[in-house]
Parts: sequence; structure tokens; C-alpha cells
Amino acid sequence: MVMVFLPVTALAKTPVFKIEIRDHLFHPAETAIPANTKVKLVVYNRDKTPEEFESYELNREKVIMGGRKANIFIGPLPPGIYPYFGEFNPRTAQGRIVVE
Amino acid sequence: MLINSVIFVLREVLEAAMIISVLLALAVNLRETLRWLLVALPITAATTVLFAATLDTMTDAFDGAGQEVISASLQIVVFLCTAGIVYCAQKQRYGVATITRMLPVLMALACVSALTREASEILIYIIGFAASEDHRTAIFAGSAVGTGIGVSLGVLLYAALRAMPPERSFSFCYLLLALIGAGMVMQSTMLLEQVDWLPVGRPLWDSSALISEQSLTGQLLYAVFGYEATPGPIQGWLYLACILAVTVAWALGQYAGREHYGP
Repeated sequence: MVMVFLPVTALAKTPVFKIEIRDHLFHPAETAIPANTKVKLVVYNRDKTPEEFESYELNREKVIMGGRKANIFIGPLPPGIYPYFGEFNPRTAQGRIVVE
Repeated sequence: MLINSVIFVLREVLEAAMIISVLLALAVNLRETLRWLLVALPITAATTVLFAATLDTMTDAFDGAGQEVISASLQIVVFLCTAGIVYCAQKQRYGVATITRMLPVLMALACVSALTREASEILIYIIGFAASEDHRTAIFAGSAVGTGIGVSLGVLLYAALRAMPPERSFSFCYLLLALIGAGMVMQSTMLLEQVDWLPVGRPLWDSSALISEQSLTGQLLYAVFGYEATPGPIQGWLYLACILAVTVAWALGQYAGREHYGP
């Protein structure tokens, strides 16, 4: 009976992917994640300056202060390429999530 | 850096400019004083600084969901205010005897809630990057230009709303408030999805090929309608529910006003 009330997230562990921001660049610039699965991105901002993780395709936006990290859940998503960027440094900070 | 600053600041300012223009036009239509704006602006300045200064702590709150939960709450408050404003404005319009004092309070609250987050993002951006000698001029110039364009578009909207015959102007103000409010609620659900407080549904459609969210049209539509190229079922249904709620508030306000004015 108790199981029924547990959130779905507790039953299936959510895969975690790490992304770092260094010198206004995303490392890795490309992250492959499984299709139709919810995943958690942990974005570490190693710069001193703030950054805003932003993606129109993923519908995500989050300010990450310098030296801090942020959790961002995405998916389940169909296969495809989903670009994201750093709104404060859009020319250099470009990355993408490849769902396969 | 210059162009980036212009675009970034414009995006943030546009949404705020739209809502303030509609509220101003509505207040002037109702012959309200603009004291609510004079009260709201310094409060917004204070909440903006507070928001930016506590963002670190906020982000870690609620198990890492703090930033989203607080932003989403502000957006939901904006929606509740828009429904309340439409109700009060309609009541005031039809029941001359009842000058409801809630209206300026709701307008001020809508203004503070709508502006705080956007303004604090600008503040974080400027403080974060203006420290570096190379970027300073570009950041300040870009921010000024972005703000200028955003405010100009707001002034244009205000002028357009004021130039219309009163009947039509009221209708447009209500419509825009409903759309802005519903858009805010829709955006808030995406923030809650971002921290796994709401499940992500399969998108109802994908209109990104038709109107990209990155394009100027997309940005304008986002500022006014909360345009979303790939809305999920939660976003779609909530958007409709919010429009319906404002419509009900509009009808109730008219009814209450007439009732009071009496036969």
C-alpha cells in the first residue's frame, strides 16, 4: 500500500549528468542522454562571474552565481538535438543535449 | 558584448514594460491616481536588490528548487493580481458609487511581483560583468540601449491603448492582462518542471519552425502572450483555465458593480 503513494522518482533512479562552466564555456559542450527518460543536469559554474543557463528548446532557464551549482531536470524527451546557451555570454557559452 | 547586452536587457525589460503600460492605461482610463506606481517602484527596487543578494541562499533552499519555487510564486501572484484588477476595474466602471480601494493595491503588487525577477537578473548581470574593465562600457551602453528600446515599446503600447475609444481601450487592457497573467502561469509551470515538482508532458505542438522563440516576433509574443513554441498539456490547459478565470472575474465585477449601483 505504501508503495502506491511513493513518487515515481523514488522507484526509478534519475540519471545524473554533470556540466561545468569554465571561462564562459560549457564542458562538455555536448551531453548525450537517453530518450524518453527524465535526467538531472548538475551545472557547476567554476567561473567567478554569474551565468544563466538558458534553452528555448528545453524550456529551461536558471541563474547560476559564480562558484555555485544548479540542478536542472530535463525530459523525458524524444530523440533530437536540444541546444542551450549561457545567456550572459551567448557567443562563447554554447552547448547541446543530444537525446538518443 | 554590446549587442548581447542589448538583447539580454531588452528581453527582460520588454515583459515588464508591457505590463506597466497596460496597468497605466487602465488606471488612467479609470481616472485613478498613479500613486500605486510611485509606491511600487521603490518597493520593486528594494525587492530586486534583496532577490539578487539572496539568490545563492534561495537557489539552495527547498532542496535546490528555491530559485524556481520563488520565481514561480511571484508569477502566480501576478496572475492572481491581474484577475483581481480586472474584477475591481470592471466593478468600478459600472458601479460609480463603489470606488474600490483594492485596485491600486493590486496594481502595485502586480508591478512589484512582475518586475522583481527580471530586474534582479539585470542587476546580477551588470554587477557580475561591469567589474571587468574590458566589458564595462559595452555592458552599460548595451543595457541603456536595451532599456531604451523596451521602454519605447511600452510607451507605444500605452499610447495605442490611450488613443482608442474608451470602450475598446478597456477591452484591450482586460485582454492583455488576461494574456499576460496566463502567460506568467504557463512560465511558472515550466520552472516547476525544471526542479521536478511537476511532470513533463509530451508537447501539444511544435511551432518553433513557424515562429521561433529566439526571433523578435517570438520575443514580443512571449512578452505579451507568454508565447511558447512547445507547450505541454499542463501548459495548454492551465493557459485556457487562466483566461477563463479572468473572464469570470470580468463578468463578476460587472455584475457586482451593477448590483451596487442598483435599480
